[in-house]
Amino acid sequence: MAQKNKYKSLILSNLIIYGAAIILALGVISIFVAVLGYNVLEALRTLLTTSFKSSFGFSETVKKAIPLLFATYAFTIPFMIKFFNIGGWGQMLFGGTMTVVVGLTLGPLGLPSIVMVPLLLLVGIISGGLFALLAGFLKAKYDINPIISTIMLNFTAYQFVNFIATSNIFRDPNEGHPITRRLSESSLMGFFGEIPASIILAVIAIIIVYLIMKKTRLGFEITAVGHNLTASETYGINFSKTIMVAFFIGGALAGLGGSLEMLNIHGKLIEGFAKTSGAQYGVFGILTSLVVAGNPLAVPLAAFFMSVLLVGADSLQRTMQIPVEIVFLSQAVIVMFIVIIRERYGKGIK
Amino acid sequence: MVENDYINCKNISKKFGEVKALDDINFVVRKGEIHGLLGENGAGKSTLMNILYGLYSPDEGEIIIGGEKTNIKSPLDSIKIGIGMVHQVSTLVPDFTAVENIILGSEGEKFTLPISREREDIIKISEEFGLQFPADVKIKELSAGVKQKIEIVRALYGGATLLILDEPTTSLVESEFQQLLKSLKVFVDKGVTVVFITHKIKEVMEACTAVTVLRKGKVQARVPKEELGVENLVKLMFMEQDIEVTESALPKVNLPEIELSEKPVAQVKNISIIGDDTSPGLKNISFDIFGGEILGVAAVSGNGEKSIAECIIHPTMLDSGEIFIDEKSMKNNSPVEVFANGVFYTPEDRIKEGILNEGSIKENILLGHHQEDRFLKKKIFIDWKEAASAARDVIKEFNVATPDEDLSIRRLSGGNIQKAILGRAFVSPLKLLVTHNPTSGLDISTVEFIFNKLVELRNKGGAVLFVNEDLDELMIVCDRIAVLHDGELKGIFKRSEFDKFKIGLLMIGG
Ligand SMILES: Nc1ncnc2c1ncn2[C@@H]1O[C@H](COP(=O)(O)OP(=O)(O)O)[C@@H](O)[C@H]1O
Ligand SMILES: [Mg+2]
Repeated sequence: MAQKNKYKSLILSNLIIYGAAIILALGVISIFVAVLGYNVLEALRTLLTTSFKSSFGFSETVKKAIPLLFATYAFTIPFMIKFFNIGGWGQMLFGGTMTVVVGLTLGPLGLPSIVMVPLLLLVGIISGGLFALLAGFLKAKYDINPIISTIMLNFTAYQFVNFIATSNIFRDPNEGHPITRRLSESSLMGFFGEIPASIILAVIAIIIVYLIMKKTRLGFEITAVGHNLTASETYGINFSKTIMVAFFIGGALAGLGGSLEMLNIHGKLIEGFAKTSGAQYGVFGILTSLVVAGNPLAVPLAAFFMSVLLVGADSLQRTMQIPVEIVFLSQAVIVMFIVIIRERYGKGIK
Repeated sequence: MVENDYINCKNISKKFGEVKALDDINFVVRKGEIHGLLGENGAGKSTLMNILYGLYSPDEGEIIIGGEKTNIKSPLDSIKIGIGMVHQVSTLVPDFTAVENIILGSEGEKFTLPISREREDIIKISEEFGLQFPADVKIKELSAGVKQKIEIVRALYGGATLLILDEPTTSLVESEFQQLLKSLKVFVDKGVTVVFITHKIKEVMEACTAVTVLRKGKVQARVPKEELGVENLVKLMFMEQDIEVTESALPKVNLPEIELSEKPVAQVKNISIIGDDTSPGLKNISFDIFGGEILGVAAVSGNGEKSIAECIIHPTMLDSGEIFIDEKSMKNNSPVEVFANGVFYTPEDRIKEGILNEGSIKENILLGHHQEDRFLKKKIFIDWKEAASAARDVIKEFNVATPDEDLSIRRLSGGNIQKAILGRAFVSPLKLLVTHNPTSGLDISTVEFIFNKLVELRNKGGAVLFVNEDLDELMIVCDRIAVLHDGELKGIFKRSEFDKFKIGLLMIGG
């Protein structure tokens, strides 16, 4: 009974916090739109409804939401033990690049799709995980701040993409710009209508993260270290192990996201692409994670909502010539409002 | 009022939540004194001085300075009337130099750099008072003794004529202490009055010209120079003046005679930990704990008692020596492996070390047991049903006042948090409980409840290592008391040999 009431009041307080923050943020967007001389109502409608008005809008939203989901997890899980993984971007790139490398190398063997796709996804998971584990290890062993190591690893991953795209082994000789050859058909993933098949893996990942965090000893240890490191160590939880595992899981999810982008969206690696689309997910992943205060269970909803705004923003630019930056700006404003309201008026999410 | 009373704190009381830190304190300092403020840990020394300094405001009482009633609202006010304080923990900015630190927060001309004029003033003061230090080296490069000089000069630079030193000797080596003693004499010559806070009688004897003894928030006595004597001070520090108060103010427990186990539950053999700035470490300590006894460890805080409690759970802390549980060596074992042998622990600071304060009671009860088979399914999944049922048992057995096990633990009062933490130790079969200051800040009925739980375990043949800074409490509930001073074991007393004076004296190194 008390249990039920507790959840009711939690849900209510979350609704109030997020509702208020979103309304405030939409207010800020409206002011900018109005000052720039556009029609406010029209702009708000475009921003919020584009994702739901056409199947194209919806599938675009899902296509953005999937990598964003993984990028958000990449930040959120280490953040549960109060460490910043700024390297979600790099871990995605590294996972994606390794996927392409292995995919192109194994391509000539002509393995069937049922072997190739899971194998390549595993490559993405493991390489992303190991890439992040490096940062966790450096913290555990040498007390190096993961903010620094993950930023450095981002540069490394970015250069790795370019190295692979321009290397003679993988490069497509027919392209002017450095691009790798396309992965073989049996390596690629299909679509349900316009929805990418990677949605299945996103759902599986959501379930697994939920299970790990809520049901397993590992999840309990991560939560405990996040709540109180001293008490956790007093009662036998190994900090070094926990931080390495948390970074590994975060990186593995980012790597899976990168892998899915390669297998389901791009099919090849393009030099410099990391700077545009990849970087976006890295930054928005952090933003989205901050919105949910590092609560992994709230990540899916938040990632979807952020994607709605991203797609709406594209549409604003296309249909009303409103600069897309307005929306980026207002996303930051939303995050700020949520953080302020949450800190000021009690904890929401938990 | 006596003519030359300089500081007169009248009827000061202060409560922190339930805890009465100060109870109707009258405290007088005369001009030119080096006035010792002596008392055990938690006696209220820092609180009283923080009130004088304006950091806290008293619930009741008034402060009269130089015959005038004052209204000190903040350190800014107290600095203006010539009060300077050097706190127990350093408040210097590690990345600034001494000069920068001293100027920081002092009232001078704003926005004028360079600071060469102030620098000269500072160096002049430091020379005048015999407190030389390198002026332009970053604080983090300096030793504890030098930092302290800088803090003192900062207070003097602010114009202090009353200097409050809160446990200034904690991190000093003997030679630095001797230097400090010399400086104190200089202060008095130059017209600065000193309040010297300490829990060490030896220092009072060497340094002070008058002493006020605090005990559990009350003034025991103001002792003038002529009456200063070790014996006298030990009595004041550790013993109630009024026997009747003792009877009613201490919890009662019943310790029936029982058989000790044949073999010791735990053997501590020649353990040592190398000391550092913050702790004296442990120096070759050996003792046994048998089933059916409560072994107390009496120590003034900071004498290695925390290491004793911790190293049993974390044997890897030891630099040498070995600990055996049931004759099995725990060498290089992790806490989890130690727990698996029927040992459990409740740490000194229940909030900082004991709980996940954002977690529920259930999660907190599980902590430390989460690796046990009983709470796992298929080795990796936590059996939350089992955890909930264990938590409900604890709530029931230990009278934790809560509607259910899902309540966030930080909603509980201190006493209930402590009961939950203690209850957690009993979730799995318990052979040895190591518990550190479990009763600090709790009301008498809760203390009694906790004592009875310890005795219950003892009566069932379990062993308890009860590390506590309150000697009265130890004498009530322990079968034996081991005394620790400066990391050394000074003796172990049987119940028939309990002598408050003797033990108290050993605790302070006498
Ligand atoms: N800020 C505070 N909040 C709650 N309790 C406090 C606070 N400061 C001190 N106390 C409590 O008041 C009592 C006296 O503490 P303190 O003055 O620091 O003692 P001392 O300096 O003599 O060791 C202790 O029981 C301590 O736990
Ligand atoms: Mg103190």
